[in-house]
Amino acid sequence: MKRSKFWILMLVPTFALVFFVNLYPLVRGGVISFQRLTVFNLNNPRFVGWNNYRTILNDPAFPRLLWNTFVWIACSVAFQFLFGLILALLLAKPFFGRGLYMGLVFYPWALSGFAIGLLWSWLLNGQFGIVNDVLIRLGLLKTPIGFLSDERFAMFSVILVNVWYGIPFFAIMLLAAIQSIPSELYEAAQIDGAGFFRKLFSVTLPYIRPTIYSTVLLRIIWVMNFPDIIYGMTRGGPAGATNILSVQMINIVYYRNNFGLASALGMIITAILTIFAVIYLTLLERGEFEL
Amino acid sequence: MKKRAIGILRAIGLGIFLVVALFPLIWIFLTSIKPATEVYTFPVKYLPSRATFEAYRYLFSFARFNMYFKNSFVVATVSAGFSTFFSLMAGYVLTRERFKLRTFLILVLFFVQMLPTYLIMIPQFTMFSRLKLTNTLTSVIIIYTGFGSAFGTIMARAFLKNLPRTIEEAALIDGCNRFQALFRVVIPLLLPGVGSIFSFCFVNSWNEVFTAVLFLHTDSKMTVPVALYSFVSKAGIQWNVMAAGIIVALLPTIVVFSLAQKYIVEGLTQGAIKA
Repeated sequence: MKRSKFWILMLVPTFALVFFVNLYPLVRGGVISFQRLTVFNLNNPRFVGWNNYRTILNDPAFPRLLWNTFVWIACSVAFQFLFGLILALLLAKPFFGRGLYMGLVFYPWALSGFAIGLLWSWLLNGQFGIVNDVLIRLGLLKTPIGFLSDERFAMFSVILVNVWYGIPFFAIMLLAAIQSIPSELYEAAQIDGAGFFRKLFSVTLPYIRPTIYSTVLLRIIWVMNFPDIIYGMTRGGPAGATNILSVQMINIVYYRNNFGLASALGMIITAILTIFAVIYLTLLERGEFEL
Repeated sequence: MKKRAIGILRAIGLGIFLVVALFPLIWIFLTSIKPATEVYTFPVKYLPSRATFEAYRYLFSFARFNMYFKNSFVVATVSAGFSTFFSLMAGYVLTRERFKLRTFLILVLFFVQMLPTYLIMIPQFTMFSRLKLTNTLTSVIIIYTGFGSAFGTIMARAFLKNLPRTIEEAALIDGCNRFQALFRVVIPLLLPGVGSIFSFCFVNSWNEVFTAVLFLHTDSKMTVPVALYSFVSKAGIQWNVMAAGIIVALLPTIVVFSLAQKYIVEGLTQGAIKA
């Protein structure tokens, strides 16, 4: 068999699927965003121009959706990174039972975000939740608070859970990077009399910078794309307090069955994501990290 | 003296992370084995007065969770199987061959990772409804295999890069054709990588909820996440039953993760990014 035929044959299944399941639907999504398409007229959509986009951008709730999305991404990623880094630093030196420990601490990363959301909605329940119970027993609260039903606490609560969920991912990536740092660098710093923080800021962080860049960027994209936890906890409520763009899009699909409108919102999300993708590719091009 | 203090601080830090990670899961398990009367009490009753598996019995008899479980298992296993197979083939070519479109194809795979499920599920739905495939397990298997193959190819590349070329070259000289070299020589050497790709794809398919909820609506076709979703929509579900449902939904991924943890972590850090 000729070489070129062989490799084309090997690439066909993956790329045929990627085209059929991902790329073509993306283009179709663009088309649908200009149509009036619901479950009831699936086979005969009507062209409506920019109407769907207008509806979304003129919605008085839209600025809040954008703001919520920003807060959700910024706080989630910042704290996932911070705690992930702390955990990675704690794990950097070997200790007895480290393999088992890593298994136990890293497992949340592999779980279903939706189920995690449901699980935590029970822990944070305003009437019977254990978090309230513990806070009252410690004397920090007098009466239970509605973590998910009170508009003031809801966003804080979903971010808290997302941070919990995302720590292992950062810890895994950063730990791998930290372990690849040549020990001579630390020895040299030691001789210069550097303390813990000096070593952290002059050796560790600069050395793992490529990993930090790529992980943070991919996490921003991933967290923006990740309605699962919010969906399991609040579905965007109460009164839109935790509604972000992706959750809103799913609500339009499931509750209003308006596929055209949902697609227009989807295209707006893609446009925003593209900005981050371009930053990612630029850093890649500049050699900050590699594929 | 100072060293010892640091050691103690470190142990405390590690302890806090462990408790924070494990506590929610333990708590939901305790809720699932509580008698119904002890679920809604405040102050909270920490340990059940007696362990009961009523909630699980309800799930598997009345709520037919064995069927949802079977559906999920079929979907996750079949899609992970195909994904692993396809991504090894594609990953092999994209690692070993140099050709014009190579970088472009790799970038396509990364790009696809960034596309959120919920964004393309509507076009997928209209496409599959034209093919009369909505509300079939086949539809979600095809979709998950697409995601899995794209992602798996990136992982396969990471593993293949570490495998010396000379081994396959020896096989080729011994008269193997290239398929045989790949499947008889390379893949057996790559078993941890293969396991890692399979577990990743399995876990991702098992956890996917939004496409499944849109595509699968009759009771006999539901997967575990869809069943959980319909639980939440139904008012009056007891929280001990809900907790049991959550445990059932999480259990397979916990099992897969504990069996393949080492390889999954290795696969993740070798250049494959979950997104």
